[in-house]
Amino acid sequence: MTRRAVLGGSVAIAAGAATSLPFLVPRYDWDRRPQRSGVAILPVGEYSEKLEGLLWEGLKLFHLQVAGKSILLKPNLVDYIPGAEINTHPLLVIAAVECFRRLGAKRVIVAEGPGHQRDTQLVLRATGLDQLLREHQILFVDLNRDEVIKLPLRSDYSGLKHLWLPRTVLAADFIVSMPKVKTHHWSGVTLSMKNMFGVVPGVKYGWPKNLLHWRGIQQSIVDLVATVPIHFVIADAIVCMEGNGPLTGTARRLDRIILSDDPVAADATCARLMGLLPECVPHVAETAKFLGNVLPGRIDQLAADVVSPAAPFQTVEEFEHLREKAGPQPATLP
Amino acid sequence: MDLEPTCLALLALRVQPSVNATVLLKAQGRDGSWGSFATDDEASGLTGLALLTLNTLGTFPDATSHAADWLLDAKGREASWIWKWKFRTTDTRVRFDPEKFGWPWDPGTCSWIVPTAFALLALKQSYPCCRRGRIAYRIQRGVEMLLDRACPKGGWNAGNGVVYGAPMAPHLDATAIALLAVRSEPRHELIERSLGWLEHQSSSCSAPWSLAWSILALDAYDMSVAPLQQRLPTITKPDEIDDTATLAAVALALDCTASGNPFKVIA
Repeated sequence: MTRRAVLGGSVAIAAGAATSLPFLVPRYDWDRRPQRSGVAILPVGEYSEKLEGLLWEGLKLFHLQVAGKSILLKPNLVDYIPGAEINTHPLLVIAAVECFRRLGAKRVIVAEGPGHQRDTQLVLRATGLDQLLREHQILFVDLNRDEVIKLPLRSDYSGLKHLWLPRTVLAADFIVSMPKVKTHHWSGVTLSMKNMFGVVPGVKYGWPKNLLHWRGIQQSIVDLVATVPIHFVIADAIVCMEGNGPLTGTARRLDRIILSDDPVAADATCARLMGLLPECVPHVAETAKFLGNVLPGRIDQLAADVVSPAAPFQTVEEFEHLREKAGPQPATLP
Repeated sequence: MDLEPTCLALLALRVQPSVNATVLLKAQGRDGSWGSFATDDEASGLTGLALLTLNTLGTFPDATSHAADWLLDAKGREASWIWKWKFRTTDTRVRFDPEKFGWPWDPGTCSWIVPTAFALLALKQSYPCCRRGRIAYRIQRGVEMLLDRACPKGGWNAGNGVVYGAPMAPHLDATAIALLAVRSEPRHELIERSLGWLEHQSSSCSAPWSLAWSILALDAYDMSVAPLQQRLPTITKPDEIDDTATLAAVALALDCTASGNPFKVIA
């Protein structure tokens, strides 16, 4: 019997009111949390061709079984603003492609649907990723304009019930979320789970994907990652963003790459490296109940230790409570 | 059938005798709107583009009046009194005037630049003169919304020009489409600034979609686009463009001075 069945009628009564009340009942009916999660924090000094070797050594820690599989790498390419550190660095994307090819993947593609900028080619060209994709003969799919399929959601936080999602994403065997580590003025942080907003197609939901905002960003993130599983995370935390992210914040160095086989553990670790409290980020706290691990005791740090910065990342005023010095306040989805 | 590439392709091929509006007429929903693709039964934010396309292809009075009626009813969520109140009092992190509203991407969400600009173009084209009542009201509010949401230094981003006190950077395509929509409005400083920004930025743009829209907008304002038209095929070979919407936009831009610019709406 499922958890939802046990709760029975009380869930039905609460469901309507729950959209505006604090989180009261689980809105998922299965638990896919692993017993333990692996995270590897890799110190990196700069963006360079050396990233591939470093990433290769890091990936070996996870013993990934991806031979013969189709891999989809989902970087964070929001927009292009000269001088602003808003996108996953192209050299890290290419390094990841080459590593998965070495691991025997049947096919590795890079796919993204920028949330803000309708001209995906402009982002690719301006960032230099387009040239590198050509040189390395890598297929890129614009998820904003891909063929779409209607899919029921596997949790019910946003009330959307279903989403149209790109066929390319649904056809992939192994999805790698590659976020740029940033603070975010609407969601507190944008890490591997928030990065998945980029798989929601603009052709249906527009630029930006405003429906997800209206249904609750935190709730929509949970529904999305419950439905489209992230199999692995490679987070670009070499140069990050703090303050008024995801577009107009300030660059801040962490000089690290974070790898993980669990997006919840990855985001919890990234938040701690930013000096933020993951249990206070609603979508991280909620996914920790059924999708992954947030507690340090259930996360195996396979490389460097988690070290909080001397000063937590700056946030906008609404998310000041995430900063470690403010003291923990358990999060609930509004 | 995806709506945007279909509309742009029909516009690009409009001079071909074999091209007609059948595919668009068949795809129109019962409420007068169009979905984003064939199996989508919800209204698309690009219904204005579909109406503009029908208007350009011929005379389809039932379909076009039905679509125009839908557009006149559809509005951004900030148009309702409760959301106006919220955006005026408790949710002020994004700077905009909720009295000035346009059209959303998705029903039940806020107004955004591109859907609003296409809706304005379509309505201005559908009602070229003697606008009264709700027609005049919606066009006026839509134009005001575009001007209200512009970036501080000119041009348009996807939506608001300022978020959390930070000015947003304009986008070439959104700026071009917004400029097309306000072309028949009295010229003032914001429009001039935006035109100047577009002209300057397009000279170094290396992306075909954005450059194509820039050409269409600058042409509509009777500015010289010949150098940009010459450069457009050099930045991407047409046979390397795998996105139909971009290919059609490029074709429209290359042909706009010779065969006419369908976005240069006389109104």
